[in-house]
Amino acid sequence: MTDPERTQALLDIAKIDFEAKQRHWEEKKGYFSDKTTELDLKSTQRFADYYPDPNQLLKAGIVFAHRDLESVATAIDEKKPWAVISGLNPSGPLHFGHKLVFDELLWLQKQGADVYIPITNDESYLVGKAETIGASRRTAHEAVIPSIVSMGFDPQKTHIYVDSDFPDIYNMAVQLSKHLSLSKVFGVFGLGDKSRKKDQNSEGDEDENPGTMFYRGAVQLAQILLPQYDEFGGPKPTLIPVGIDQYPYVLLARDVAKKVGLTPPAALFLKFEHGLDGKGKMSASRPGSSIFLTDDPKVAQKKVRNAYTGGSILADFQREHGGVPGVCPIYHLRTYHFEEDGGKLETQCVRGEILCGECKKIASEQAANFLVDHQARLPEARKRAGDFMLRTPITSFLNKK
Amino acid sequence: MERLEQLLLTPKLVQQAPTSELIRGRAKQNRPSPLTIFYGETYDDKGNPIDSLKYYLVVSALAAALKKEGIAVEPTILVADSAACRNVGDEKQGEIMRLGEHRFQFVQRTNEVYGTDLRVRKMSDYVTSPEFVTRRGKIVELCNGDQELMRAVEKTVPESKTDTERTKGFLYSFDEITTIVNLDLKVGPPREDLYDNVARAVAKRRKEKEIMSLFLSPTFPLGMGWSYFFVNEGIEDHGITAYKAGSKRLQRQRIIVGASNPDYVRSLLDNSFISLNPSLPNPVLDIGLICEMARRKLTGDNSPISLAQEFYTGEISPNQLKKKVGQDVETYVLSKF
Repeated sequence: MTDPERTQALLDIAKIDFEAKQRHWEEKKGYFSDKTTELDLKSTQRFADYYPDPNQLLKAGIVFAHRDLESVATAIDEKKPWAVISGLNPSGPLHFGHKLVFDELLWLQKQGADVYIPITNDESYLVGKAETIGASRRTAHEAVIPSIVSMGFDPQKTHIYVDSDFPDIYNMAVQLSKHLSLSKVFGVFGLGDKSRKKDQNSEGDEDENPGTMFYRGAVQLAQILLPQYDEFGGPKPTLIPVGIDQYPYVLLARDVAKKVGLTPPAALFLKFEHGLDGKGKMSASRPGSSIFLTDDPKVAQKKVRNAYTGGSILADFQREHGGVPGVCPIYHLRTYHFEEDGGKLETQCVRGEILCGECKKIASEQAANFLVDHQARLPEARKRAGDFMLRTPITSFLNKK
Repeated sequence: MERLEQLLLTPKLVQQAPTSELIRGRAKQNRPSPLTIFYGETYDDKGNPIDSLKYYLVVSALAAALKKEGIAVEPTILVADSAACRNVGDEKQGEIMRLGEHRFQFVQRTNEVYGTDLRVRKMSDYVTSPEFVTRRGKIVELCNGDQELMRAVEKTVPESKTDTERTKGFLYSFDEITTIVNLDLKVGPPREDLYDNVARAVAKRRKEKEIMSLFLSPTFPLGMGWSYFFVNEGIEDHGITAYKAGSKRLQRQRIIVGASNPDYVRSLLDNSFISLNPSLPNPVLDIGLICEMARRKLTGDNSPISLAQEFYTGEISPNQLKKKVGQDVETYVLSKF
């Protein structure tokens, strides 16, 4: 092949690749707005407009939809108590996808919320992500909780518990489960639908063990409604920041809350963190897709350097045609975690003013700097972890119907 | 730029207006009859809100700008007392009419204070006259014979009241439509577009001149935090009823001329939502614009109002605006009544 032929072949490949990325973006860009409409949710744009000091995640639409945020907004404005609850399955160390949620939790705490963080090690065991309950408990205490503490939460307003260390949650689950029917749980999670494939990324499969059913139908419910029990001041607006795939839990909790005289919890929906491999959301089950908060900063930098991007194989082609930031995990890594103005980066990328090499260099430095700081805080966080643990015994369920 | 253009383009005061060419064109077409500039309102028993003054002063300013160009005008404020009576029981009619007289006097007092030269009328003075009843009858007949028109008439009524109004033959709406159908320039809040549209459709069918609508920016309650506006979706479009102090039972969040204490007004302003985003409601600026119009009338200042620009370009901070408006509302409005 002559040089001109080789150049032309490369150009053809670059064009095909660019068009494929554009098509991919065209197909997926409406996903979150479609979901907002399909699930009858509301966009957070109005909240971002009116809230006096919205965070970057709201301004950039990364927190993109809500259900009943009005109840929480009124509590914030009138300085009345309100709570946030967001659980975590400790199947491994935290990654940047978790960080995104904790960034939001931290911001919500600064706006006045009491933050409740159930570490659902029972779930890790039940769904087969941990060999024993003890193993997932160890991960929770050794890796997850110190990482959360080191993010800067206020111990006075943070309540972390590990499910297996906090059996009162099961008592509450038993009490609350009386207000549910199996058909309701089946309906909400789509259980019993034989057309659903087991590997489909959705909740529910009739082959699941009864413990999983109890966990999904009742224990999660107890976790969501816990801040409204008498021991924590009674009914109050409660907010659940989650991914859109968790919506069934929100629906179930709202339904039961109404039946037991509690405030139906509100929800705030976050977009997924993109995996570095470009194959979907960041997930611990695809280690190459994730930057873990325990990663050596140099390892993290290498992961960023090797990441998939929305750019081109040819620098000149990208200078001329720009990149496709919508499908680029590096663009998302920077805008979700480090950039004050994601729009500016998007413009630079689309116009071909910044190429992937430079962008990756900036992202890898940003990620490494974060990890260095975060990991430096871990020893102190381990010492302080006890200050954040919820130890209040729950007895009010004894007298609840 | 001519004064008329400046007035029509006043940011955050005028939401929608016909072009100055259209207004001048209509005036030319009317000659030798004057151009009618009209604003009509009802009222409630909670007093005269400062927001009514906004409409009186705009009508007056429009009239002054056109007069300066040699155009004959007839600026009219209508106190719709008989409309206010339509939806109350017989036992309350006397009280409502008495309140109408108060509102009538409020407009007259506005004329005295600001030299506005507004012609003030009461609906009860003409609504039972044979001429009006005949005109209304013809419009009712026209609408009853035209499904599209009748659907538009029904839309002027909130859905919750449609059945009740149907039993009354939509008389409230037909009084309003008959009143405005042959006017030239009607000033009002944006929510009146439903009436204005029917009036235009009726005029079109009758091959008569159609009214031009000039909508002022909606009125918002004072002393409310950001969450009030976030929770009340759609409030940006229509706000609350400007001329009824008790609109949505928010009378404590309004400035009521002749009743509100200046200290209370200042605390209302201090606790009001204010945003640097010009697309969001700005109840403080709204009062500031009323004060600016009042000050201009009292001091003979003919310069264009630039308060909104000064605020949104950062020349005046939110706190400075609140302070200025607190002082101005006392100096140029409350102390005069």
